[in-house]
Amino acid sequence: MGDRRRSRRLAAVLAVTGLAFTTAACGTGSGGSGDDPNTLEVWTRSNPDSAATYGRVFATFTKKTGIKVDYQPVINFDQQLQSRASTKDLPDVMINDTALMGSYQSQGLLKAVDPDSIAGHDQITAKSWASTVGIDGKHYGIPYSRQAQTLMIRKDWLRKLGIEAPTTWQEMLDVAKAFATRDPDGDGKADTYGMVVPGSAQNGYAAWWGSSFLWQGGAKIVEPDGQGTYKPAMDSAAAVNTVTWMKDNLFCGDNAVTQPGALTAITSTATNFQDGNAGMYMTGPYNITTFDQTLGKDKYEVVPAPAGPAGGDVLADGENVYFGAKTGKTKQEQELAAFLISPEGQKIAMTGENQPVVRIPVNSTLDAAAVRDDPRWSVVQKAYEDASQQFPNAPDFAPIKQDTADSLNAIFTYCGGDVRSQLKELNETLAGDLKDQDLLK
Amino acid sequence: MTATVTTPAARGGRRPTKKALVPWLFLAPGLLLALVFKFWPMAKGVWLSFFDVRPFLGDRWTGLDNYTRVLTDHRFQDAIGHTLVLGIGQSLGAIVLGFVLALLLEGQARLLKIVRTAVFLPAVTATAVVGELWRLMYYPTSDGLLNSGLNLFGLGPVQFLDNPDLALWSTMAMGIWIWAPYNMVIIMAGLAGVDRSLYEAAAMDGVSLWQRLRYVTLPAIRPALGIVLTLAAIRGLRVFTEVYVLTGGGPAGSTEVWMTRAYTLGFTRNDIGGASAASVVLLCVTLLLTVTVNYFRKRGDVR
Repeated sequence: MGDRRRSRRLAAVLAVTGLAFTTAACGTGSGGSGDDPNTLEVWTRSNPDSAATYGRVFATFTKKTGIKVDYQPVINFDQQLQSRASTKDLPDVMINDTALMGSYQSQGLLKAVDPDSIAGHDQITAKSWASTVGIDGKHYGIPYSRQAQTLMIRKDWLRKLGIEAPTTWQEMLDVAKAFATRDPDGDGKADTYGMVVPGSAQNGYAAWWGSSFLWQGGAKIVEPDGQGTYKPAMDSAAAVNTVTWMKDNLFCGDNAVTQPGALTAITSTATNFQDGNAGMYMTGPYNITTFDQTLGKDKYEVVPAPAGPAGGDVLADGENVYFGAKTGKTKQEQELAAFLISPEGQKIAMTGENQPVVRIPVNSTLDAAAVRDDPRWSVVQKAYEDASQQFPNAPDFAPIKQDTADSLNAIFTYCGGDVRSQLKELNETLAGDLKDQDLLK
Repeated sequence: MTATVTTPAARGGRRPTKKALVPWLFLAPGLLLALVFKFWPMAKGVWLSFFDVRPFLGDRWTGLDNYTRVLTDHRFQDAIGHTLVLGIGQSLGAIVLGFVLALLLEGQARLLKIVRTAVFLPAVTATAVVGELWRLMYYPTSDGLLNSGLNLFGLGPVQFLDNPDLALWSTMAMGIWIWAPYNMVIIMAGLAGVDRSLYEAAAMDGVSLWQRLRYVTLPAIRPALGIVLTLAAIRGLRVFTEVYVLTGGGPAGSTEVWMTRAYTLGFTRNDIGGASAASVVLLCVTLLLTVTVNYFRKRGDVR
């Protein structure tokens, strides 16, 4: 008797808990806009400053079309997206890095896109469209913004020391050493550094920053064989030479060439350029707004990255518009995408007081420098068009990038190691990553 | 025990049942929250650890594959080593320092209260904030706070975080600094319960300070130490924020601990199954450790 009562009580408690759980799950899952067909939930990976720019873009879109946008700027995008994915309820539209497309697609998070279904698709170049083709040959994103790395350099320091901006690796080293030793800020103290390096393995930074050097040295991380499969290429002679050069000159030689703490620095902690104590920073143009505000527009200039033995190719990157899988608002999503890539949509996102969210426009009728009335942007646009490479978009590049970063960080940390055997080991790891994805040749 | 529980119910009638429900009603909000935010995700984590997780393509059952992968991965093996060194060093350091602080700061004087509050501050500050502060303190040139101090003695500058041989110890020092005050408070509570007459008796017998600590103080605060030790063991194993903020596991993985590795696996490499397996292993080890510590504590108490 007593037991039965107790079990009934337990059943009641469980029922109540179950109910509460279902409500809680609904509350967190749908973000409040899941049912209204005329409202799109849109996520971008943005801080509050760039979110303000997106806010203006979406406001104009709503005014023009009547389609409402429930806009969520998400800083830790990947973590949030994974947890939303686990409840099988994704945002309708996401804007995020191009290099993540393979990863998202391999998890089934994206809806395939037919370029012809997006109004104005012909204003995007074939090169840009090509970067959104997934492993199965279908498009999984719409190009939105592009960028390429350039060298930011202190022109007042160059002038003071009477030297020129570097165009080769050797010149870059000489300039870095001059910045570190010849007291370019004139305060009589040895407190300046040659260049800023976000060299931590965290989030794959070392591979992200180092990839431009690898390409300039003629090396590749993985190579496509033209039949949809890939092979790892970090054991090539070019890779060994390049990584050895980086190790000997940037990390294990005169240590004032890079900023202190470079091996544990990520972009948010590598602030030496904007703090005014480092003279060079090879990075993307999204930093231009920040540097203009913190350092001052007159203090630095934007130049093409110095070339290595195999040329001057830099890392190109950018954002795509993605449609989340399993939502039924395709028409509205296509309208939003069409607006985002239209000259008007791109212009709003490129200008204004806040951080621009379109760097190099994907719309070929626009010119970055002309829209902004700022010739520095033509340097970036030229780098993107003429001398840039992207991480392969089809495979899930996340593990490949992380393993490469882990390995590079270790090579740069332990100066006594043997680069050739360390890279050989990395190559085997990369082969394993490709094999996991059934992409190994 | 059983008798007392079943008696009211056996007597029948509605009133006793209602009475028995009241504590459950009070407990309900907490239980619900725990169930939704703790036990359900935990159960789901255990479940996911047996799958290749692909939410939209359908999870693939892989059995113990994730576990073998995690346990044979040399990075995880390194991480175990680091976790143990960091956990044990940090726990012992924080307990010893907490004990010393408690002895020094025990008492009623008003000034002591102020000092105690000041000393307790690290324990209430967010770990992420503390991490950022220590990053600045460890700045590897003579401009850094610690290095400018060393500079006065003609030493340094020391690469606290960028030297793979030093990074783990630097992280440990910060951990001790954060957790010592926390232990101090618990030990102090233990000290308050020490029978003063024992000290007087000891003084009469003319024992040394060390003997007084060894034979009077330590046995008296044994329960407090037990609690501190249990908490420290659990905390030591799941250390994450300190490492993530300070070094991100670097340089060259020299400070990678179990949780940072699981985090990288889950969120950088999108391998949720593997990350779940790693977390389940950690859960099991933590449970085992807690039970062991408790067992020895109880045995000690009985003796």
